[in-house]
Amino acid sequence: MIKKLAYLFGGLTLLFGLWGFYDRFAHGHQNANYGSYVVWGLWVAMYLFFAGIAAGGFMISTLDLLFGIKIFKGTGRVALWGSLVCLAAALISIGLDNGHLFRIWKVYLQGNPFSLLFQMVWGYTIFGVISVSALALASLQPNSPWLKPLMAVGLVVSFFISGAVGALLGVNASRPFWHVGLLPVQFPVFSLASGAAMLLTALGFFGREDDENRPQQLWILSLSSVVLLIVKIYFMWADYSQSMYGNVPMNVEAVRLVLFGEYWWAFWILQVLVGSLIPLVFLVQRKYATHNHWAGWMGILLLVGYAVARGLIIFPALSVPELEALVHAFSGPHLTFHYFPSLMEWAVTSGTIGIAVLGFLIGSEKFNLFSPTPKEA
Amino acid sequence: MSEPKEASILTKVASEVFAGVIAPALENAPLIQAAEDDVLAKEDVLVRMERELKRALKKTPAERRWVMVIDLRRCVGCHACTIACVAENKLPPGIVYRPVLTEEIGKYPNVTYRFLPKPCMQCENAPCTPVCPVNATYTNEEGVIVVDYDQCIGCRACISACPYASRTFDFGLNYTDKTIDGLAMTLGSKQAGKYETAGAAFEYGERRERKHEQSPIGNVRKCHFCLHRIKEGILPACTTTCIGRATFFGDANDPDSLVSELIAKPNVMRLKEDLGTEPRVYYLV
Ligand code: SF4
Ligand code: SF4
Repeated sequence: MIKKLAYLFGGLTLLFGLWGFYDRFAHGHQNANYGSYVVWGLWVAMYLFFAGIAAGGFMISTLDLLFGIKIFKGTGRVALWGSLVCLAAALISIGLDNGHLFRIWKVYLQGNPFSLLFQMVWGYTIFGVISVSALALASLQPNSPWLKPLMAVGLVVSFFISGAVGALLGVNASRPFWHVGLLPVQFPVFSLASGAAMLLTALGFFGREDDENRPQQLWILSLSSVVLLIVKIYFMWADYSQSMYGNVPMNVEAVRLVLFGEYWWAFWILQVLVGSLIPLVFLVQRKYATHNHWAGWMGILLLVGYAVARGLIIFPALSVPELEALVHAFSGPHLTFHYFPSLMEWAVTSGTIGIAVLGFLIGSEKFNLFSPTPKEA
Repeated sequence: MSEPKEASILTKVASEVFAGVIAPALENAPLIQAAEDDVLAKEDVLVRMERELKRALKKTPAERRWVMVIDLRRCVGCHACTIACVAENKLPPGIVYRPVLTEEIGKYPNVTYRFLPKPCMQCENAPCTPVCPVNATYTNEEGVIVVDYDQCIGCRACISACPYASRTFDFGLNYTDKTIDGLAMTLGSKQAGKYETAGAAFEYGERRERKHEQSPIGNVRKCHFCLHRIKEGILPACTTTCIGRATFFGDANDPDSLVSELIAKPNVMRLKEDLGTEPRVYYLV
């Protein structure tokens, strides 16, 4: 039943997405609401979100495939596949956000190695190759001596790519909201939290009913998610309180936008209530945490919260004018400091989500990801 | 005795007819001594700057250091420079290289306005260039930050990195989009639109058409000190258009240039000095 629902969800979101993809290719960026001031919008936020799950999914897969923790046996390939489909979704999101998508080859052949974006493009490429190879090895030759070294290298790369996303924002000295040393450091934690939530969802919804390890897996993932969520909230408190007490006007304004300004509803309702408090309440109770569907739904809520949190890192920092009088200096399309994604942007994001969901479902069936050992596949 | 300076200003900057009408009336009027730094009192600055520009062009590019000086006391907030720039570079909707920031200061009835024209600062230590993954934006030999439209992938990391909001993204819009077509040459997207789309501008000395998703559409764009004009010995469009003669341009490596004189004054400042970007745009306050 839940699988059918997931297919339906994936199909419908992709269908809506097809219109978005058409609009994006037919009219370029014209119908987007991000602009020259709020220069990165929903797609960049979704890129951070999906890239976070990709890196985090890999990290979680090492529990099985690198560290060989018994209780997680058989989850490694699920996490790896989840990581790969999210990597694809992340790259679609960021690719469509570029003005000249088809010039991406220039980053490889004519790139600037000192640019973080350059390093990330290479990082994702290496990460993708490692993930595909690791999944292939884990599926076809699970006892290969190459698997563990590959996973070890992949683990380092996954920390690098998740930290680099934070650094991409953090190095902007002109944006005090981002320019804190702690920001890049937080991203691997965010990634790990996203990876745990992804696996919680996957195992909760689609794990094998007869797998005796499953309740324990769900319980550990639930508790880990709760701990990571609390660490995340702690980071947020550190960021926001420091900004408020520091009293740097650009910083205070960005925090005000999140807490009481135009993004209040996303913060209080989606991130705090739906994405944090509700899962927290249920996941600390064993009976819900180990109840398959409850665990799955709580995983989804956690992911929604993480997605919103990504947006709330990006948009507020860009919604504060670099120079106050810029707001009225010159008017025109895409020259505003207020941002809410356009229908086309939502559609493209919906399509990306559809691709990730359908990709995960189809792949998990094709590769028999939920069977106990690859040999049974 | 010093020359009656106010009268000489009239004969230099006003039209002959205007000067002819007013000058006799001024003959016996008490003249106010012009301030020592009043460059208008000496010669129309444009003439001097053109001369200096030609002199600078005789040097190799690396020997020049273009700077812009904007005298905020002279700026009247007419936005002529903004529009001159839009016209010169055929900037589409949503793209601006030189907005004039207007701030209201004080409380009624003691209210005044402050105007701050803001081109790209052409930072010596530009935060926008190292973030570019493909070296599409860089400091050219003359110290001007340029964008190679054919190289730029439109990631907009440079916009995000610029502390002065000096970069805008070309979304591919045209002013004549969706306008009703008429018979006359000046109506509608088909006819009047040709002006916008064919040979978009002469930026960087290139002639480009605005076609679907082709550069500079999908690229980041910014002020380049009108390099294409400078190359021909013409001052940037904003400088020649400024009705208050508030914008000065020239080679700061030439000790005798007007801009060198001006940036040596104590009342000079630059925007967000604390960031260490070392802008090449100076303000006189
Ligand atoms: S003002 Fe902005 S765009 Fe211009 S050089 Fe400085 S950082 Fe770059
Ligand atoms: S938008 Fe273009 S110029 Fe700016 S950083 Fe990206 S590729 Fe470089």
